[in-house]
Amino acid sequence: MPLKFRLFLLVLVTYYSYSQNKTEDSFFKDIFEQSKKFHSEENFKKASFFLIEKKWDSTIIFSQKSLENSKREKSMDDFLFMYRGISLFRNQVYDEAENQFDLISKKFQFTNKVQEFIGAINLKLKRYKKAITYYKKLLDIKNKTYVDEINILNDLALCHYFLSEFQKAEFYFEQSNKYEKDSINLVDNYINIANLYYQQYKDDIAIPYFQKAYNLSKKLKISDKQLSEDDRKKYYRKQIAAKNMAVIEENRKNYNQALVYRKEYEKYVDTLNNRNKIYAVAKKEKEFAVAAKQKEVDLLQVENKLKETERKIFLYSAIGLLLFLGIGAYFFREKVKTNKIIAAQKEILDELNTTKDKLFSIVSHDLRSSVNALKSSNKILLNNLASKNLEALENLLHKNSTIVNGAYGLLDNLLNWALMQTEQQYFSIEKQRLFIITEHVAYNYKPLLLEKELNFENTVSKREFVQADQESLKIVLRNLIDNAIKFSQPNGFIKIYSSNTIEGFTNLIVEDSGLGMSDATRLKLLDDSVLLNKKEHEDIIGTGLGIQLVKSMIKKNNGKFDIESELGKGTKMIVSLPKTVLDG
Amino acid sequence: MDNVNILIIEDTPQESDKLIKVLNENNYTISGVARTFKEALDLYYKVKVDIVIIDIFLDGVPDGITFAETINTVPDASKPFVFLTSSTDRKIFERAKLTQPFSFLMKPFNELEVLYAIEMAVEKFYDQNDVFITDEEDTVISSDYLFIKKGKSLKKVLLEDIIYIEVEEKYCNIITANEKFVILISLTKILKLLDENSFCRTHRNYIANIDKITEIVPSDNLIVLQGKHHITLSERYKDLIKKVRTLK
Repeated sequence: MPLKFRLFLLVLVTYYSYSQNKTEDSFFKDIFEQSKKFHSEENFKKASFFLIEKKWDSTIIFSQKSLENSKREKSMDDFLFMYRGISLFRNQVYDEAENQFDLISKKFQFTNKVQEFIGAINLKLKRYKKAITYYKKLLDIKNKTYVDEINILNDLALCHYFLSEFQKAEFYFEQSNKYEKDSINLVDNYINIANLYYQQYKDDIAIPYFQKAYNLSKKLKISDKQLSEDDRKKYYRKQIAAKNMAVIEENRKNYNQALVYRKEYEKYVDTLNNRNKIYAVAKKEKEFAVAAKQKEVDLLQVENKLKETERKIFLYSAIGLLLFLGIGAYFFREKVKTNKIIAAQKEILDELNTTKDKLFSIVSHDLRSSVNALKSSNKILLNNLASKNLEALENLLHKNSTIVNGAYGLLDNLLNWALMQTEQQYFSIEKQRLFIITEHVAYNYKPLLLEKELNFENTVSKREFVQADQESLKIVLRNLIDNAIKFSQPNGFIKIYSSNTIEGFTNLIVEDSGLGMSDATRLKLLDDSVLLNKKEHEDIIGTGLGIQLVKSMIKKNNGKFDIESELGKGTKMIVSLPKTVLDG
Repeated sequence: MDNVNILIIEDTPQESDKLIKVLNENNYTISGVARTFKEALDLYYKVKVDIVIIDIFLDGVPDGITFAETINTVPDASKPFVFLTSSTDRKIFERAKLTQPFSFLMKPFNELEVLYAIEMAVEKFYDQNDVFITDEEDTVISSDYLFIKKGKSLKKVLLEDIIYIEVEEKYCNIITANEKFVILISLTKILKLLDENSFCRTHRNYIANIDKITEIVPSDNLIVLQGKHHITLSERYKDLIKKVRTLK
């Protein structure tokens, strides 16, 4: 028999070399659902997402990262190994994929699928016998969740086919045919079976299968609009079926028929190419459209940003303006307030200035007249000294000393008053012994009292303690005694004594039997006005400064001041000072 | 009774003379007058001083306060002092006031004020206030002396010189080798203030100077003191015998 030249065209379809079917999609979904409990771990979550999106490289990277985390939960490992196994398998790194699958524990819920993967790997690595054992085991398992039986049957058939065990191959092909419902796969199966027989030169059996495949492929409907992955597969089937028919007819020397098939085959190839091109152009157009839209979007975004900035600028300037206005208003109000205060202060100052002017005029007048009197008296003194009139000398000297004493008192008051105004004076309220202070002050007036033949009496209780500043209390007493002496007639009396009429206060009373004063004068003296009083007794020097000083000092010592007087009968000056609270 | 020694620190001779006159009239002894801070320090450690009168301003600077601060830093060497000043300037006063105890005398001063200031300084320094002003008491006790008000001025008695004290209600008879006089002080106060290693109660009415005891006759309840003074030793105070150093 002459060597029969035969062309073989084998379309060997293994399940995994083509895109996934529905079983696998549901499998992935389930994996994702199951993996959710570990999604708190960031890398694991990412790996799961990439797996379901079929981005194998990213899945490998993130599952690796997750595995590097030493704190991970151990039950996560099976998932991770499976992720890596699937991804590596998809990337056709079969050895490594097998290693990963081997690491998965047998208790893993997806162990069936894992077995199927291992079988597929063995098939890919041409270890057909090993693949067969895996597949057969899977066929025996009752619970075939996630397991695609048709594919297994198919793969089993392929294994046997490659091992040239045609009968077994035939058996499994037939088996898978029984389950197969998808026409594409059916075409594949028919072609596979046909090839199987054709290779064994059982042309009689093979040809009807080729015919069947061809007829079925012709019925495959292809949508007009777009070329989907599915459509592409259909075209491929049509091409192969036609080409197979052409080869068979050629082998049967039926060249005319072969030519018809060949032409049909080429037509399919062209159409596919054309459609591919159209598809590519459409795709490009789409890309352009998308790019244009993107540009538009970008432009709008920029515009939006500009508008936003404008709005912000407007807002900030508004706030700034408001703030500015607020501050302005605040400062204006402050200024008005300050102006009011300044005006009030000016009034007080004016008043004080008037007082001061008046004071100075009186004081300067008094001082000048005193010094002037002293000056003229000194001249007379010198004359008398020249004429050795000793008696006159003594009189004059006594007169001079009185003048000087008066002037000194005036000066002292003036200085104390000035110091008090400036607050430069030491002032410390402490416990004071009223009797002692009175005694000390009165001591200086002993000669004067004697001269005026006044009867003096200090009957202040030694047990009276008051809270006051020592020096200011002395100034007060000095002035009061001074006044009492000044307004007393010879042979009169001056009494100083204490009494308790107000709760918490001690009264110190300086009583004289002198000229006394009218009620009007009394009230004027007690008036808080800083204006000085006119002199009532023109012949006696008095500026009113003393009584002003007394009032201010007592006020500063938290005390009270009162006057009781009757014209011609005498005066009572009453100073009330806070009592010292004695402990015990 | 001895006079109280006063050191005056005053740069103006006129002022110091006035002060000396007043003090001499009142039986105080002037132990010295210093014109400068340095002189004052020299004199202070050289002469007998019981009280110091310090003018705040020496040659226009407040060296007086510095002096008071200096003597105050050595607690045992410190003595009662009075500031003398003509200015009531707040700042100066506030500084001077830091040298506790603080008493001052304003210029121009009269006799009463000077004497009172001295009394106040002593009272404040030994922390026995309101003694000299009242009629009930007249003695301040320091670690070495009794300061007693006699008339207008102060006198002092060395504690060592006291042989025994006889208590009579509010009064205390002080018996020394040369004198016998009465002071006004309460018994509780005098017991509290006297050093109990030197003075010991022997009877309800007697306090004896332990150093002056020459003989104890327990059988007769009698203590013989220097100068042949006899006082009673009551049962209650017989523990005294343990305190007395005896020859063995």
